[in-house]
Amino acid sequence: MDDVVVLGCGLSPFRSSRFDGSIRDWVAEAVLAALADSGLEHQQIDQSLMAYESDHLAGQIGQGVIWHDTLGLTPRPTARIEGCGATGGLALRSAFAYLRAGLSRCLLVVGAERVGKSVSTATAGEIFAMSSDTDWELPVGGHFTAYYALLMREHMRRYGTTEEQLALVSVKNHGNARYHPLAQKPKELTVDEVLASPLIASPYKLLDCSLLSDGAAAVILANRSWAQANVPRFSERPVVALTGSGCATDYARAGDRPRDALAHFTAKRLAGEAAYAMAGISEPLEEIDVAEVYDSYTGAELMAYEALGFCPPGTSGPLSEEGVFSLQGELPVNPSGGLLGFGAAAGATGVAQAVEITAQLRGEADPRRQVAGAKRGLSDCHAGTCTVAAVHIFERKDI
Amino acid sequence: MDPKVKLELERLRADDPLGRSEDPFADFREVLLLGLEHRFRYRHSLGKSSRFFLALEEGVLLATRCERCGRVWLPPRPVCPNDLQVTRWTELSGKGTLESWTLCPRAPHYARTGEPYLLAYVALEGVSTLFLHQLRGVGPDALQHGMELHAVFGNEPVDHPLERFWFEPLEL
Ligand SMILES: [Zn+2]
Repeated sequence: MDDVVVLGCGLSPFRSSRFDGSIRDWVAEAVLAALADSGLEHQQIDQSLMAYESDHLAGQIGQGVIWHDTLGLTPRPTARIEGCGATGGLALRSAFAYLRAGLSRCLLVVGAERVGKSVSTATAGEIFAMSSDTDWELPVGGHFTAYYALLMREHMRRYGTTEEQLALVSVKNHGNARYHPLAQKPKELTVDEVLASPLIASPYKLLDCSLLSDGAAAVILANRSWAQANVPRFSERPVVALTGSGCATDYARAGDRPRDALAHFTAKRLAGEAAYAMAGISEPLEEIDVAEVYDSYTGAELMAYEALGFCPPGTSGPLSEEGVFSLQGELPVNPSGGLLGFGAAAGATGVAQAVEITAQLRGEADPRRQVAGAKRGLSDCHAGTCTVAAVHIFERKDI
Repeated sequence: MDPKVKLELERLRADDPLGRSEDPFADFREVLLLGLEHRFRYRHSLGKSSRFFLALEEGVLLATRCERCGRVWLPPRPVCPNDLQVTRWTELSGKGTLESWTLCPRAPHYARTGEPYLLAYVALEGVSTLFLHQLRGVGPDALQHGMELHAVFGNEPVDHPLERFWFEPLEL
């Protein structure tokens, strides 16, 4: 079957506020960068998919069509893709399906979200909390840090995972962000600084929590045969192909899931297994060179290692201490800085992960965060407390 | 500031966020900020879950039981997701055990609770799922996984019917 290949990638800077532009301006920045990267003209794109989570955060319904016309893509088809935190990953998966089905031959995926200081942190928290159950979880004072904390405390009870092990993820990801010029919060942190940051919901402190970001990301995908015929000098550049896509779901309220699964992201495990089967991966730790995982909270990154089969259940904390997932480790995770250090702009996140993995596989990342010789990478994002999970595998497949 | 434009908050001059020597958007660095507000009020039905909330008036906790697979769901589900059978209401003892908890020093503004507050997953007697609610009358240091809890009903006026009860340790 014809490979689905990545032709171009672009990012806007992720920032706590981008008052210098509106969301459609950031979208234009990311797409102009992706077009320049691809060498394509925008008229060569035959379909767009627009990934964003919240009409409330944007104060605008029907943004996708507005972005599409901002980019001069009318009268071509477009669609909005939405799945809370999994939005960007679901857009990649949809793009894969459009291209494989022959509905498109060259497709633009855009992810963007306005989560920065356009609204107060309290309002942003309330809007995100509205993606939990507004009849049952919101009225008792529920919020996302608390939901994740309830899962992590079970992980700590069951496996002895420590707050220091959580803090190490924050230190790693903020540290990696120092090597990404578009990252929101590059910072050299210590475990003690993370532990001393204000408590939000035990065990999570402020520096265990992902950022609130304004940002946009764009990826241009195409069928290889179309790219060979239409992209100038296609064969002279490194080629990155999307070789695996997995998606799975779980009960929206974590309390409704099987009781012994509270400390595990079951949907992520199933999504990973599906993506691995498609890409022919049986030993993820050995066969994957670099990964961007959904570190909405430090503990969510640890639970992702386990769900994605990087390590057995309960061992993510000690392995994290050994540095297995650091830039110099066996499987570097979140070289971009992730949602903790690079930034978290809901709909943009899953798309930005694909941008980072592509840069890594091309060998074009900043040398300080480039994983040497990376040939296969993984991106992973999820909604809610892993209600919807989307996992993708990218591989270097030069001609 | 233009006093004739009531929504105007601020005007400022932005820099190129990428700090390029030749800013391609040099013509577009004047910025005007407005203060916008939307207010929506919903006539929101609690639908087929309503009986749970109405029973709280009598100090009773209800859940839904599936006659086919025996699962008891709370929050209630009129249709069992396991086999899509229509369920029946069943009365609970209100007793349960502590499965997981978290201490939140600050409450979100919509929470209408004191600070700090504790949120917990409670394994209610006779229920297949875990129920999320507040723990009161106990500090975090006294909490233990598996400790016995019970639902306590308040008499104070509340906003949302879920606030009519919470959980406390059965004995301290
Ligand atoms: Zn049933």
